Amino acid sequence: MLFRSEEAVDAWCEAQNRPRGKTLTLQKTWELSEAWYGNRLSPDYRGRTAEEIREVFDDVGLRDEYWHP
Amino acid sequence: MEQDLLDWEMRSFVYARIVERGLPPLAEQAADEFGIETGEARAAYERLHERHALFLDPQTREVRMAFPFSAIPTQFRVRANDRWYWANCAWDMLGVPAALHSDAEIHAEYAGDGSPVHMSVENGQLRGDDGVVHFPLPLRHWYDDLVFT
Repeated sequence: MLFRSEEAVDAWCEAQNRPRGKTLTLQKTWELSEAWYGNRLSPDYRGRTAEEIREVFDDVGLRDEYWHP
Repeated sequence: MEQDLLDWEMRSFVYARIVERGLPPLAEQAADEFGIETGEARAAYERLHERHALFLDPQTREVRMAFPFSAIPTQFRVRANDRWYWANCAWDMLGVPAALHSDAEIHAEYAGDGSPVHMSVENGQLRGDDGVVHFPLPLRHWYDDLVFT
């Protein structure tokens, strides 16, 4: 979900009684999108192994366990 | 056609149809394309769903999500290559121009207050309104509840 700010995430999660996860800036999400979806339309795309998924997140600097498959 | 090859060619067809028309084909339309029975196309859809290559609607078993594209209206709309697309979520609204390798205009809403958000992708650069994308679950649980995620 897209929020205006971190504070807006906090308020929404509290109001909706939903778990507070992690956030990424739009710029970081764009960077991740290019890495994650850049080859999605290729006829040769066959999905990713857990190791390949981890590499994508690692490559954009998301190395926290939260982003591990 | 060998089953695995059929499945991946079916997946390519689904994506090609979305790029061309904005929506995925119904199983019956996919069957016509491949010259097979609708039941065979449905079975291929189910196998692709199991492999997380597509996500089927729980009721209709038609394609609901072909990431990053959505087959149903959402609050994340993307204009690219003179066509409107729906994206599944805030991440996927950026995934559409990333997948298409195109410029794009993105219209969305902030969760909470519902106010409009406008962004664009121009020559690989993201511009426009600011914000943060909330990922409520760790990646290893994303497929536990994909609609919520």
